Amino acid sequence: MIGPSRVAELEMPGAAVETAAGRPAQSYWNESWERLRHNPIGMMAGVLILIFALIAILAPAFSAVITHFQPQSIDLSATFRPPGATHLIGTDELGRDTLTRLIWGGRVTLGVAFLTVGIALTVGTATGMAAGYYGGWIDDLLMRFVDTVLAIPAIFLFILMSILIHPTPITLAAIIASVGWGSVARLVRGEVLSVKQRDFILATRSIGARDFRMMFRHLLPNVLPVLIVAASLGVGQIILIEAALDFLGLGIQPPTPSWGNMLTNAESYFYHSAWLVYFPGIMIFVTVLASNVFGNAIRDAFDPRLKT
Amino acid sequence: MTQPLLEVNDLHTVFKTKDGTVKAVDGVSFELNPGETLGIVGESGCGKSVTALSIMRLQRPGKIVGGSVVFKGHDLTKNTEEEMREVRGKEIAMIFQDPMTSLNPVYRTGWQVAEPLRLHHGWDAKKSMVSAINMLGRVGIPSAAERARDYPHQFSGGMRQRVMIAMGLTTTPAVLIADEPTTALDVTIQAQILDLLRHVNREFGTATLLITHNLGVVAGMCQRVMVMYAGRIVEAGPTTDVFAHPKHPYTWSLLRSIPRLDAERHEPLKPIEGLPPNLIDLPNGCAFNPRCAFRVERCSRDTPRLLQVGDTQRAACWVTQSGAELKGA
Repeated sequence: MIGPSRVAELEMPGAAVETAAGRPAQSYWNESWERLRHNPIGMMAGVLILIFALIAILAPAFSAVITHFQPQSIDLSATFRPPGATHLIGTDELGRDTLTRLIWGGRVTLGVAFLTVGIALTVGTATGMAAGYYGGWIDDLLMRFVDTVLAIPAIFLFILMSILIHPTPITLAAIIASVGWGSVARLVRGEVLSVKQRDFILATRSIGARDFRMMFRHLLPNVLPVLIVAASLGVGQIILIEAALDFLGLGIQPPTPSWGNMLTNAESYFYHSAWLVYFPGIMIFVTVLASNVFGNAIRDAFDPRLKT
Repeated sequence: MTQPLLEVNDLHTVFKTKDGTVKAVDGVSFELNPGETLGIVGESGCGKSVTALSIMRLQRPGKIVGGSVVFKGHDLTKNTEEEMREVRGKEIAMIFQDPMTSLNPVYRTGWQVAEPLRLHHGWDAKKSMVSAINMLGRVGIPSAAERARDYPHQFSGGMRQRVMIAMGLTTTPAVLIADEPTTALDVTIQAQILDLLRHVNREFGTATLLITHNLGVVAGMCQRVMVMYAGRIVEAGPTTDVFAHPKHPYTWSLLRSIPRLDAERHEPLKPIEGLPPNLIDLPNGCAFNPRCAFRVERCSRDTPRLLQVGDTQRAACWVTQSGAELKGA
């Protein structure tokens, strides 16, 4: 063949060093994972979110095996019980077990948060990808629409939509995502504009790839790190928005528990039953904090140059 | 002579900018015969790459405003985008200047080399991978089966250019367009890649359009050469004749501006005076006339056409077309 001896002699040393130094073939993902693994605080935050998510998923099992209460079962003979043996963290004004409600509330709150992120990422990525890839009038049209969406005061939009649409976890996610997708679209468009300039995109066009393939097979994996970071940071923000809406009575409606609406009821009883405020509050605080810390850790893992 | 494989006729490609219309390719015509290697030389910004991209209809945001590109009897400029996709990567393959950025960083190289096969032949991952590994071996990548699992960043520049060439060849295209394939590589690797391209040309019978600014590369690779200046072909002919007796003052000056091993010691290089013209606002007449040492009065008035000068060459120059020789100065 083409002077294999010459090839071996000139090029193999460089290639050999890479393997000889004990660094096996590492993909970008593997390297990022390695960096994330060596960030203890970030890993702790990630594991914490994972545990909360697992508890939320297994909520029915928890209420059957550990708390022995249902989240909506009222016991008027046991209202405002302080934390104790039967009710590990007390009961509320209707005698409902706070721990059970907290677990089921987590199911709703985290469910809404993840669903919202999912919707916002899907819609935002599709929009940003189309705008960035096609450019021209498509870009103008889509981005002006995004500008319009982002110019509407979000809280006003949330209130209006909550009045028009009865908020269930699914519609609430759609309501919050209806604003959240805009910033994702901008983010993705920016990344696509930059990646699109790189030679491999022209090279891929030169082998006859279709637009759809260009966007989803070749551009999307290159913007994925940005999306993952946006998603993990987004979870925290959305939990806060959702808690605020629930607290104002515009989100998840009682008797379905969520961390936000558990606080709504609790404020009136703060002076004699503080646990009703503390526990949902702490859950929101810890989850949001963990989500932000984990988001930052992921960002550092993907792009170590950004680390401060 | 057989039917030319690729025939470019009076191709015009323009870029609309806010300062005016850039005529990047301004009436280029040439033909590429099966199995031949044709060189296009010229300095940066003379329209070489845009010519190549226009053949593939990848010249966006530029626009082809005139002429035709006839490939195997079909005018590519009249193809739909879908028909073009069938040509790209299947009939005409292209390799680019910078192998460091021409591969997608997130995919394994084997997957990328196999991609044209999946796109054009509809082969599954397994079958196309076998073929890709075979091709990687044939372009001189040692332990191709293992290397196919590596990512582009694990390859050196020369190896990546081999990968690009393998990717272009998997579908055994009729034409390979190599746009400055060695410019980003160091000299020893350049020689290897040129070796490989020569070999590919012989073994696969792929007609090669080699675009470069390096006259040495042309001398070693191409049977015929075209010299471009300001979006036009100013001289064309067999490489040996063009280099021995240039018939256009631009070619003549280019050849004098490169160092030669057989030159007298201390003989200074003679650079071409002035700057390449602004493609938005070309000088009247011959675009080269402000920099030309042989300029006559007519040069700044009428634009010369590419006509036969001497036995084998064509040149777009009033001076040589009138029978004068390019000497001295």
